[in-house]
Amino acid sequence: MTPLQQRWLNRKGLHALIAAVLLAVVVWAFMRSEFNLVNLRESGPNILEFLTRLVPPDWSVTELVIKATIETLTIALCGTFIAVIVSLPLGFLAASNITPAWISFPVKTILGFIRSIPIIVIAVLFVAAVGLGPFPGVLAVALHSIGMLAKFYAEEFETADKDIVQAVKGTGASWLQTLQYGLFTQSKPQIVAFTIYRLEMNFRDATVLGIVGAGGIGTYILMYTQSFQYDRVAVLLVVIGVVVFLLDQISFWVRKWVG
Amino acid sequence: MQPFSSTEAVIKLQSVRAGYGNTCVLSVDELSISSQERVFILGRSGSGKTTLSRLIKGRIPVMEGELSVLGESNVISNRDIQRRIAMVDQDFNLIPRLTLVENVLTGALGRTSPFRTFLGWYPASEWEKAESILAEVGLDGLGNRRIDTLSGGQQQRAAIARALMQDADIIIADEPVSNLDPELAEDALALLVACTARREVTLLVNLHQPRLARKFATRVLGLADGCIVYDGDPENLSTRDEEFIYRESELNPVSKDALSHDTSPAKMA
Repeated sequence: MTPLQQRWLNRKGLHALIAAVLLAVVVWAFMRSEFNLVNLRESGPNILEFLTRLVPPDWSVTELVIKATIETLTIALCGTFIAVIVSLPLGFLAASNITPAWISFPVKTILGFIRSIPIIVIAVLFVAAVGLGPFPGVLAVALHSIGMLAKFYAEEFETADKDIVQAVKGTGASWLQTLQYGLFTQSKPQIVAFTIYRLEMNFRDATVLGIVGAGGIGTYILMYTQSFQYDRVAVLLVVIGVVVFLLDQISFWVRKWVG
Repeated sequence: MQPFSSTEAVIKLQSVRAGYGNTCVLSVDELSISSQERVFILGRSGSGKTTLSRLIKGRIPVMEGELSVLGESNVISNRDIQRRIAMVDQDFNLIPRLTLVENVLTGALGRTSPFRTFLGWYPASEWEKAESILAEVGLDGLGNRRIDTLSGGQQQRAAIARALMQDADIIIADEPVSNLDPELAEDALALLVACTARREVTLLVNLHQPRLARKFATRVLGLADGCIVYDGDPENLSTRDEEFIYRESELNPVSKDALSHDTSPAKMA
């Protein structure tokens, strides 16, 4: 066996080993989560019954549901807006190509910590702090998004062409002017696209916030599911589905426009 | 800052060594460039041309020796000096998503208030200046086109326009025409020389074509292995000189190492 062939074989062997370990973990996870195909088959009639109880939807609650959906949309919009305002400077601070490591590393660590807290937990904390309603929802969406948006912005800034940044600096531009023209302008399309995507995600996240009293459509999700009013749940699903579809379309067009 | 008289040296290097990390790639005993000179720097790739221009522009620090540009030794972090030394890069380094005129206007960043530039709201006088420069470089009518929709030749002119917008005292062009075909290259150099001559600017051009240097330069520097091996009039640049500048490197890798070790921090101290 030639040395080259031996190295190829070693690499392939390593790949096979990694694949085997990953497969073992997945099998273990299925066992651990009590996944049971027999149970699933026997539950078929229950699932079917649930589905039949969704129709016909009770359209009498449509207006109520739409109002609550608009509240959820406003929560998502305000939360995303606050997150963008805070995340841009944080993104600069977390970008290792523009900020010294002793600043960027702690900022990245804090962002990672924020990201790790589930939004529902943040919402519970804010409801306890500021009371019921959409306001704690806005705060929860904002804080949760900052962790992800700032990290993404930082990564975008890190991939920017540094020669262009240097060229802008070379015109005698100040530090802020260099950031704006040299760096931000380069990253803008990706930043806009990801922010729109985050807005979409925030709307979906915000739909469940009402369950803990943080406003919006979640209140009705909780109410109708717990009282088994599946015909009304159906209206919720339709309205949420339509809004998500519309947001998806808007997001697509905006990304195409800035791309 | 006082304007420089034509006899005064705008760029002075004294026993300067420069490079990257601990590796020295440029060693200049003495170099003095006067105001309004058109200095064309010839040399093989890796001869130190780009390092010399980056050093003068303040993109890399001096390892050893004394450098003075426009009377200042601190070029790197002096915004006023940065504005007064414009650079036309080989890859142009224009901002791809902005329009042509927006790119040219960035040449005015150094003298425009941050509030205005934050909104992109440059004074009317800067717009007029940008438009007249665009006309001067033959790009009038294209101002609102996005820079990445322009051809290579047009981007080259855009980069020259941005440099002119800076109102610089020195313009450095690092292999400005290596991305263009030969005819365009000559036109672009002619344009650069004409525009800088009108403004009484000192021009430094890194180049690979001795023919073009003979045509446009007032002085030619030849670099080989990081040292100046020719300094004189373009008329006196003989074919033998050319061959000497473009000869195969005489230093073998070991002695190149010796050159780099020579400037290691321990030795410099």
